[in-house]
Amino acid sequence: MTEVEMRIPSDLVFERVVRAAAEEIGHQMGFPEERVADLTLAVSEAVTNAIEHGNRLQREICVGVIFSLESDHLQVRVVDQGQEEQPLEIRCRGITEESIERGELRGLGLYLIHQLVDRVEFSSGEEGNIFTMWLHIAPRNEQARRNEQ
Amino acid sequence: MIQMEDRGNVAVVHIQTPSIDAVSAREIEEFCGRSRKTTVLDFGEVAFINSAGISGLLKFIVAARKRGHRVYAVNVSPHHRKIFKMVELSRFMPVIEEQEVAQLT
Repeated sequence: MTEVEMRIPSDLVFERVVRAAAEEIGHQMGFPEERVADLTLAVSEAVTNAIEHGNRLQREICVGVIFSLESDHLQVRVVDQGQEEQPLEIRCRGITEESIERGELRGLGLYLIHQLVDRVEFSSGEEGNIFTMWLHIAPRNEQARRNEQ
Repeated sequence: MIQMEDRGNVAVVHIQTPSIDAVSAREIEEFCGRSRKTTVLDFGEVAFINSAGISGLLKFIVAARKRGHRVYAVNVSPHHRKIFKMVELSRFMPVIEEQEVAQLT
């Protein structure tokens, strides 16, 4: 197993740094382009949540990101120091006339993550809140099925 | 970051950034209220969009709808077509082909 660990200030500008790393790691692992794009977006959403909802944009508090590269899958852990002991809930599963009427124009991030990765898990402990995502290196036919959905 | 081009009755808004995210979405939100009767957002230079960016786009679309304006998207990558469909953004901003822009009124 190979690990890549990053720590960024809780400033949304630095989310771009993690996103760039995710894209490179996806390529290094041999994921197809579409899967790399899914990975990059999922990591972007998880890190944005950690910065905004976990560390509440307090720049001096860091978000940790650990990429664990395995032969058949990639695990990404995003760690924040927020007070939440429960995972964020999926508030929105798509834009509707009703959600627009209610002025709900945000909150799609967690829904997107669940759509794009194979598995997610939330835990909370001394280390902080840990949001973990898994992406498997799917066989070619499985990947094709995903892309068609 | 945003350049507007007049093509008769249609305004084409060229989004000139590779990333529409929490940082750059603010510039799109500032553009709210500057839509025309038919506005086409050109994503030709956009390589990445996250949910914060989608939120900025949605604010632009909602502001346009309130003025009775229609918004379309052009030069959208296959990945972003998938994401737009996933979050139902395509219902409010249909994706069209470049050659269809000239047929809009």
